[in-house]
Amino acid sequence: MPTFGSFALLLSLALCAYTLLAGIVALRQLATGAQGQISPERLAETARRSGIASFVATTAAAFALVWAAFNNDFSVAYILHHSNRALPGAYKFAALWSGQEGSLLLWAWLLSCYGFVLRLRHKVDVKLTAYASTILAGIQVFFLLLLNFAAPPFSLVGGAVPQDGFGLNPLLQYPEMVIHPPMLYLGYVGFAVPFAFALGALMMRYPGEKWIHITRRWTMITWLFLTCGIFLGAHWAYSVLGWGGYWGWDPVENASLMPWLTGTAFLHSVMMQEKRGMMKTWNVWLIFSTFMLAIFGTLLTRSGLVSSVHAFAQSSIGSWFWGFLIVVLSVCLFTFIMNRDHLKAENKLESLVSRESSFLFNNLVLLAACFTVLWGTLFPVLSEYVQGNKVTVSGPFYNRVAVPIGIFLLFLTGIGPLLAWRSASFKSIRKNFILPCIAWFVTAVVLISCGVHPWDIFTTNEQGSFYAFWAISIGAMVVTAISAEFLRGAGVIARHTGQNIFAAIVQLTRRNTRRYGGYIVHFGVVVIFIGISGQAFNRQVTQELDFKQSVSIGPYRVECASYSQDSNPNYDTEYALLDVYRGDKKVTQLAPEQRFYTASQQPQTMVANHSTLAWDLYVIYAGKNPDTGRPIIKIFLNPLVAWIWIGVGIIVFGTGVALFPNMTAAFAASRSRAAAPSTAIVQGGD
Amino acid sequence: MIVVACGLLLLVLLVYVFYPERHVEAQRQKTRLEYLHERKDVLYENLRDLNFEYRAGKFVQDDYAAQQADLENEAAEVMAEIELLEAQPTR
Amino acid sequence: MQRLLRVFALCLVAVMVMGAADVQTRYNDLGHKVMCTCGCGQVLLECNHLGCPSLSRESDELKTALSRGDSDNTVLVAFQNEYGPTVLAAPMLTRFSIVAWIMPPLLLALGIFATVVLVRRWRQRAAAMPVPVRSPQFMAMREKIRKETEL
Repeated sequence: MPTFGSFALLLSLALCAYTLLAGIVALRQLATGAQGQISPERLAETARRSGIASFVATTAAAFALVWAAFNNDFSVAYILHHSNRALPGAYKFAALWSGQEGSLLLWAWLLSCYGFVLRLRHKVDVKLTAYASTILAGIQVFFLLLLNFAAPPFSLVGGAVPQDGFGLNPLLQYPEMVIHPPMLYLGYVGFAVPFAFALGALMMRYPGEKWIHITRRWTMITWLFLTCGIFLGAHWAYSVLGWGGYWGWDPVENASLMPWLTGTAFLHSVMMQEKRGMMKTWNVWLIFSTFMLAIFGTLLTRSGLVSSVHAFAQSSIGSWFWGFLIVVLSVCLFTFIMNRDHLKAENKLESLVSRESSFLFNNLVLLAACFTVLWGTLFPVLSEYVQGNKVTVSGPFYNRVAVPIGIFLLFLTGIGPLLAWRSASFKSIRKNFILPCIAWFVTAVVLISCGVHPWDIFTTNEQGSFYAFWAISIGAMVVTAISAEFLRGAGVIARHTGQNIFAAIVQLTRRNTRRYGGYIVHFGVVVIFIGISGQAFNRQVTQELDFKQSVSIGPYRVECASYSQDSNPNYDTEYALLDVYRGDKKVTQLAPEQRFYTASQQPQTMVANHSTLAWDLYVIYAGKNPDTGRPIIKIFLNPLVAWIWIGVGIIVFGTGVALFPNMTAAFAASRSRAAAPSTAIVQGGD
Repeated sequence: MIVVACGLLLLVLLVYVFYPERHVEAQRQKTRLEYLHERKDVLYENLRDLNFEYRAGKFVQDDYAAQQADLENEAAEVMAEIELLEAQPTR
Repeated sequence: MQRLLRVFALCLVAVMVMGAADVQTRYNDLGHKVMCTCGCGQVLLECNHLGCPSLSRESDELKTALSRGDSDNTVLVAFQNEYGPTVLAAPMLTRFSIVAWIMPPLLLALGIFATVVLVRRWRQRAAAMPVPVRSPQFMAMREKIRKETEL
């Protein structure tokens, strides 16, 4: 099977190289009008098919690796290092992306999947797809080169084949780990598609903005995958790493955040291009940098440029990524310089307060956030270069610099929808702003009376309540603004059709799914911010607990029912059974564990968490006191954490809504049909 | 066994890629007319949007009138060109 | 003027005294400003390694320093001298490191300024455009468009 895998990878490389070269030749011939021995269209068709075939070949390679994992083929070095016989099936499958070579293979496979769909759907615009397919093939060639020559997943073990493997890193033996990396990669890789379309459209000087329409769903789906990947990672960190938090500003976490920020900016500003033909240069560079940041993120993870807890992924292939990044940048720059006159805007911003300029500010702030993250991540390297010593840039830095930017962004989320397209005069603004401002004020008063004092930041070093105050009060403002937007729109529809307000809201959303789906996503973001602001009120206690001893935290009393140990082929475990009481009523029983994995000889905490909408009771078994033999239990009471995951759910729902095609605006269509029977019905598209 | 599998994969994929296709999709450049129709659709959508937002109370009368005029002018220019191009005999 | 200054100085002192909270709060605060040096890459008080040697040593040092009554700055500088600059969770406001803090807000401010200037320029250019004369056919076309786009 390893031979088959290696062969499939080599074949895939050859096919992709053919797609790239034949594609370039064909497109060149078509552009210049030159004729070769076979018609350029036929050549382009073989290039397209070769791209599709490369998907089959890459799939075969991925299958070979999974096959090897499931059949415990420890002659393959990668399987030896990332699996063992006792490993449960799902984690054997996850072994495909738990190491460097496997994750590169996953990356290449996902890329070929995207390429497959893109090439199958080439009829949306044959020429543009031909360009995009060729560019995508270039990216595929890079990853396949890596897989064939720098990090081959099928290299064999020298000498006798060991009886059992070294096992999977216990940190990764967790359900989320089975889906978090593929999600994240789907996001990273997915930006290659809008990137390829944007670059292709620029190369061929595509007339109009239709290419945005074609890539819109791609971009949204990719963005959704990246969002889910990031939050699954956060949830994994929260439930596995056992330090009571979900985001540690680790360089690798930051690496996933950067393309997300620029991708979000792109999703917004591209609307201005689609609707008003503006900001073309900006958008092209946004998607270029999003893709390059995705590659840069991988580079950060792999190269060991910055120190990170994800260091298990480090290796020498960093230089390959540097090379690739330079090539991508050069191609982008060259194409841009050659065709920059094609990107002249059709309209200009007319006012400082229109929705267009609110998009502009939103972009600016997102980019500033991205820069802050990039800056913080790379500052240690810069510091070493300039002043000769490394420094640490972690939580406290980002809390002071990045979080305020995030809150400002939340504020823009609220006011953006209140402004109309093109200019909005102050009179209309005042009208729309009153209600959200009242909501802000009321919430602020309520918060202060509840003891959240933002001015504490001036007297103590505690920033938590300051941020919580602003996040929650601005959140209330945004929610009011969004609700008002829904109600106002629904009111118009209700007046027209005589429907009740709920039916009208549904119809409103279906008429313009992208806008109202987008508002739902914004609502999800607010919910996440509120969840995060709960952090300001975290509490924790660490205590040694004997039988029937208990400890109180917040409204809960945690009593030790028993503690014991157990053993199975995969791991040994020590655990405590804790009864949780609220008042006199027993709420639940928690069983925090400390595992010791046999194959990898590594310990691992298993967190026990009782999650409610108000707070999480998050319990860790921190080991035994060697003197008394009693378990040490660490308990966190983390308010509002559940809302973060709920917010993500809302975002997924909102994006789902936005992905739906618009319903034809019923009354507009009927009217235009009546007025001019010959006119084609214009379908809506925001 | 492995050699057979490799050979089979190679054969199938090569046949698929180079199998002579009778009907090949033409790669044609978008015409000016198609482009104008796209523009018209977008402008119509913007106008509908403007109307809707006006009804929803996001504009004062003056703003609305000015912007409607702008968009209508733009759309009318596009429509005029469409009519001109459609009147011409196709080459 | 002098009275105003005196009031200001009084406020300043009050604020500083409030800042010097009890030892436990300060321990918690400073414990989140230094890193654990065992290589886990976590903030000191969030290191959750079983029997982490760095955690116990560093937290003992911190407690001793606080009970001595050292100021925050003295404690941080002492840590920096002992473990190297990477022990601080965020760079201090010294020499080059201050750049780390200044750059992001500076860039944001510059960006906002540039955007405002740009928008103003665009606006002026847009206002300068003359209004062309329209033919009756053109106006008829507009009328048709209006009908077709009405709600």
